[in-house]
Order: sequence, then structure tokens, then C-alpha cells
Amino acid sequence: MPLETESKARVRALVADFRPNNGDMMAALHRVQHEFGYLSRESLEVIAEQLDMFPSILYGAASFYDEFRFEPPAQTTVRWCSGPACRLRNSNGIRDAMLATLDMEDLHEKTDDNRVGMVLGQCNGCCELAPMIWLEQHGDHGPTQTPVGHMSAARAVRMARALRDGSDLDGAVNA
Amino acid sequence: MPDLSIALERYDALRERADTEYAAWRNPERPRIDIAMDTSSLANGARATGVAIHRVITERNANVDMGQVHGYGMQWIHPSVQITFPNGETVLYGPVKPEDAARIVDEATGTWGAAADLRHGMITGTHEGVPSVRDHEFFSLEPRERRLMRNLGLTDPENLMHYIARDGYRATARMLGRHLSEEQVRNTLNDAGLTGRGGANFPTGVKWNFLFGAPGEEHYMVCNADEGDPGAWVNRVVMEGDPHLLIEGMLVGGYATKAKVGFIYLRDEYPFSVERMERAIADAEAAGILGNDVLGTGLEFHLRVIRGAGAYVCGEETGLLSSIQDSRGMPRVKPPFPAQRGVFDKPSNVNNVESFANVPLIIQHNSEWYREHGSDKQSGTKIFSFSGDIPRVGFMEIPFATRLEDCLRVCGGIQGGQLKAIQSGGPLGSLLPPEALPQLILQPDSFTPWDAIMGGGGMVFCNDQTSVLVLTEMFSQFVEDESCGRCTTCHGGNQRQTEIIRRIIDGEGRREDDPNLALIDRTVQFSNCVHGQFSPKITRNTRVHFKSDFEAALLGVDPTLTLKGMYEVVVANQRPEEQAAAAADICPTAAIQGEPGRRRVVDEACIRCGACFEVAPDVMAKRAKAPKPGLVPVLG
Repeated sequence: MPLETESKARVRALVADFRPNNGDMMAALHRVQHEFGYLSRESLEVIAEQLDMFPSILYGAASFYDEFRFEPPAQTTVRWCSGPACRLRNSNGIRDAMLATLDMEDLHEKTDDNRVGMVLGQCNGCCELAPMIWLEQHGDHGPTQTPVGHMSAARAVRMARALRDGSDLDGAVNA
Repeated sequence: MPDLSIALERYDALRERADTEYAAWRNPERPRIDIAMDTSSLANGARATGVAIHRVITERNANVDMGQVHGYGMQWIHPSVQITFPNGETVLYGPVKPEDAARIVDEATGTWGAAADLRHGMITGTHEGVPSVRDHEFFSLEPRERRLMRNLGLTDPENLMHYIARDGYRATARMLGRHLSEEQVRNTLNDAGLTGRGGANFPTGVKWNFLFGAPGEEHYMVCNADEGDPGAWVNRVVMEGDPHLLIEGMLVGGYATKAKVGFIYLRDEYPFSVERMERAIADAEAAGILGNDVLGTGLEFHLRVIRGAGAYVCGEETGLLSSIQDSRGMPRVKPPFPAQRGVFDKPSNVNNVESFANVPLIIQHNSEWYREHGSDKQSGTKIFSFSGDIPRVGFMEIPFATRLEDCLRVCGGIQGGQLKAIQSGGPLGSLLPPEALPQLILQPDSFTPWDAIMGGGGMVFCNDQTSVLVLTEMFSQFVEDESCGRCTTCHGGNQRQTEIIRRIIDGEGRREDDPNLALIDRTVQFSNCVHGQFSPKITRNTRVHFKSDFEAALLGVDPTLTLKGMYEVVVANQRPEEQAAAAADICPTAAIQGEPGRRRVVDEACIRCGACFEVAPDVMAKRAKAPKPGLVPVLG
């Protein structure tokens, strides 16, 4: 048995109960991403070995899905709801205001200091809160998600500034 | 051959235990406060409310218990709670914020009236001066007795015993114990007229006939819980409100089609549904309802949840099957149909969550009972979710053929303007004009004359304050983004379609845009799967049903002033200066420049996000740009 890094051993332990050709790929990818925040090249190699797949095939499959990441997420990810009820209440303006404040061209980017990222979110049927976003924090104990409803463009600017500058986020949320 | 009557014995034993537990829950020794827990409640802060109530109870050492239920349907009152008193009366309250915790505990512990303003009605029992929640206008279209949602508010969704006590798994036990044949089960569904609830409307029993007749012993039952249509959360209600109803439907399906394994393909955006389904499956296994020996009869049925990862196209059945078998969720050409080649190339069957949820109810009652609601063309009830510019956002279970106009009425009517559009059926669905409303009934064929579909049950009502092109762009971009990339017509065609619509929104409409969109429409329909085939539908609806808006937009005219390129933001008043300064400060692109008293907007820098209007409503204004001269569109 060749020597391997500690993280590789952790991945191996995480996916030990998954089997090839058993419909386990999605579960394996989710479990590793939940633990590490993203799917590293190293972890994909371990999962591929466990599922008896070529790493390239596994990467090809995993990269098909929007929710799998291949680099570490930002400390806070703003998940912007793209649903119709939100669009009727200026959610495009909310998106653009946040992107401009964070100096990003488009969604699925991060700030250079890795503090804030922004991704497109799908409607999950909490439309009474429209327009809404979710704040996702990636800590040591996996991700946490906080929905923030009844957004507005001005609030979006304040929140994005607070996230960007590391200042009082709660104040910006409640302002 | 095992003695099948054992199924009834096992069920009776479970039922006895369940009845005792449920009776104690319904008529508790001391009052109980149940927090509504579901995705919407959680987003509205149900956990914080629960923590606050728990703190008050602990501080006072109050004689109250706590529990959980699923929301009753009125999402605009979330976070909601229910109080059940020892006499069995259950009252619904909402919205209950953490600061209302003390009042709720007061109300539960005997100070009746402490939370009177939060009361919405009685879930069970009668109390003088409090109406039944069934009399609320929002539920006036529902049958008096709910079917698919019969356990909402009346059970803890995470408690198997509650489900059993409310007649759950009774259909299974009787089916197995009295040996209802596989064929009888399928015929009963056909007699009932149950059709696919995902939108395609294919008869469920017929679909099951295909799988039953397929060769080999290895058959799979698959549940499509990848409810990706924005604005639809029908399946979520079933899975979070009554997870065992889905399990039982799949179990009956497994029996009727000789499938021993079932998969529930559940979208990643519903983590709480995943949690509840997995828990329910584990509970059913532990009780001997799922596994190698269902209720002692030797029947084998295993269930697994497969968690999706944000690919809308996995809602297409062949894409979903690919995703289960460790690969990209790309749809393929049919035939072969799933009943011939499905999961792991074995015969399979894919049904929607709600289709399965109807099955135990039909088997338990009968097909005649089922047909009591609905119409000749479409029997039964269906859950619909309503959102958009309406005051009452929520979900209800209504009979087919209910008038859509009535739905809008019970949702409180259109808010903030006049009705402009109705969005049904998701991104592959339709955008309907207000003229259609009086003629529409909730039955698939009623939508057909409008080049529309009813779809999975999501209905979004839109007012006239936002241009329909905002939605057209949204859905066009959605179908482009979610194209799997296999057919050039779909991935390329939808890119071009989105580009054209965005250019129009930017005020750069061209005379050839309409014929080009028509060409794309005709071309994209040659894609292999329904995603591609239906992807240009909303754009087509916009061009046809909202022709005047579309033509105006081509000329750079938008009366709603919500299309970026057709208006500019200006400083209409220099005073009050505090507002003007606030506007300059909030602008994320520093587009508001100049000294106090001489402020102006630099149009090139303005991204039209709207932040300045909120902080400076008396200062900032929108002004329509002059339409482009001389552009006469060619209309196809």
C-alpha cells in the first residue's frame, strides 16, 4: 500500500461503503463535498477508484451538475434566487447590485480574497418571501444556509458591502 | 407460498400500537405546541420561533409539551404553530415570531385570548368565536375532506405511527392480505382514471402494465421527485408533509409491477425533503413495512433516495435514469422506453411523486370514490401551488376542472396592479394572457387551445408592473442553461434565442428579430427530448399572446419601465438633499455624481438596479428613452 496523504485517507474512509454500478455516484460526491466543501482532484481520484470508474469519466459526470464544485467555496456564498416570483419583484436588480458591489462580472465568481462568492439558486417554493437570497457559510462543520427574504436592491448593496468589507452583516440585513 | 393473512395480522398489531400513540397525541394530557416545520416554515424562521417558545416553557416550567407538524397550506402566515388542547381542539396561529412566544405559551396554558390576533381557525374541534380553518376563503375550493393532504396539520410527518393510525399502510395490508392480484391493482388505477401528475398525463396503470409485462425478474420503480419547475412545490408538500404516503404508493407500485427496488430521485434544493424521506424509509424498514419481507408476506421491496445536484434536465425521465446510473443526466432518444430499458438497462418505470401519492388512496377506497371529484376528462384532486403578485402565497388541494379564476380570487386577487400574465407549467410551460383566465379550468385540455400546458401544478400570477419580457428572458436563459448539450438545435438554438431577447431588452431590437425567433422556434422543436422540444414555448407565447408588448419592445418602448435599455434613471429633484446624498451613497457603481444641488446620473455607469429609488423616492425617477426612429419590425 503506497503512502497517501491524510486527506486522501479521509476521503477513502468516507466513501468506503459505496460500490461500483450501484447508483452510488451522486451520494459519494455529495458526501465528500459536504465534508470538504468541494471536490478536489485528489478526492475525485479516490472516488473513481472506489466506484471503478476512470477519473475522467467521473469528472465528466460530476461537472455536468451545477451543485458540484471543484474549487473551495468562498467563506460566504450568496445564492441568488432566480425564480419567477422573485423576478416580479426586481430580483434582477438585486443580482446586478450585488455583482457590481462585489466587482464581479457574473454569477459563479468569487472575490479575489475568497471572502464572497455568488451563485444562481433555484426556486424552492418559499415564494411568500420573494425576492429572496440564501447566505451559505462554509465552516468546519459543513455548510449552513440562511434564507433572507423580502430583499431589495438597497439592502442587497448594504449586505454585499458588509460581506465584502467584513463589517456588520446583521446590521446590513436588518437595516 | 407464505400465508398471506399474516400481512393483516402484522398490520393489526402495528395499528393497535399506532392507535394508542396517536390517541395520546390527539388528546394530550397537557397542551402541546406544534411548530410547523417544512421548507417554507424554516425559511420564515420556524426554528427561531421554536427555540423562543422552548425557552419560555423552560423558564416558566410551564405545563406544555412541544411537537411538530407540516404547514397547513397558508404559507403567508409562516412561521405558524398549532396548539392542541387536552380536549382534542387544535388551533392554528401565525405568523408567530420569536417575540410572540410568551403569548403563545400563555394561550396554551389557559390565558385564552393572549394570542387571539394570531389565530386563524380551528384545525380540529369547535370553539365558540373561532371559525374552522376549513372555512377560510383560501381553502374554499378544496373538498371538505382533503385526500392527498389529509394528514397535514393532523400528524407529525416524522411519526410512522401517526400515519398508520390515520389508515396508512392499510391499503398495502389489505392488498397483500387478501391477495389483490397485481392486475387488479393496475385495473383499479385505470378505472379511477389516475394519470401522471408530472405534466405528461399518461395513465399510470397503463404505464405499470408495460413494466409488469416486461421480461426478466429485475424491475425497478423510480420516483421522479426532481421538481425543478420554478414556482412549483407540489411534490415538496407530499414528501415533507406525508412522506409515508409516497413510500406506500411506491410499495404498491412495486407489488403491481414486480419491482423489488425503488429509487426516489430527489432534487438537491429540497434538503429537508431528503431528510424526511430518508428517515421515513428507515422507520418503515424498522417496522417491517419495507425490506426483504414486507409485512411477513415474503414480498421484497427496498427504497433508496438518490439526491440530485441541480440539473433541471434530470426531471426528464431518461435523464433521470442516466443520473441514477453514475453518469451525466443527459436524456436519450426514446425508444427504448424505460419499461424496456431503464435503470441499469433493466425494465423500469418512472412516475411523479403525486402520482404515487394517489395510489394508496385509490386502493384503500375504490375507483368510484376517487372519481367523485374532478370531471369526466380528469378525475380526482391535485395539489397546486400559487405564487407571484398575490397576497396569499401557498398551496391547496383542489379537484380537477376548478376554474383558475376562482383560484386567483381565493389567493386574494392580483396585487399591486392589473393581471398581466399567468405562468403555468414551468420553463417548458406557458405564459398566458389575462384574456385566457375566464376560460381556463384546471384540467390539461383546457390549456391546449392557448398553446399552453397545465404542468405539474405551479401557477404564478403576474401583475402589469413588470414587463413580460423579464420573464421571457428568465425562462429563455433557464432552458439554455439547463440544456444537456446533446442536441445542437437545443443548446445552440436556445443560446441564440436568449441573445436576441437580451438584445431586445437592452433596447437594441431589430426588424428581423421576430422572424428569427420564429425560425429558432421551428428548429429547436427537432431536438430529441421534451426539454428541447418545449424550450421555445414561452418565447412563442410572448410573441403571440403578448404581441403588442413584444412589438413595442422591438421599437424600444416599455411602458412598465422595467426593461433596461428602454429607460434611464434621472435625478428628478435635487431636494431633499439628504435623500439625494443617500442615493449617491447607495449606488453600487457611483453613477450618481456631482455636488449637492447639481447631482446627475451618468447613464453609462448606471446598471438600473433600483437601489436609489428605495432610499430616495422623492429624488430619483425613471424616464422613458425616446423610441428608435424609423424601425419597423418585420412580423412573421
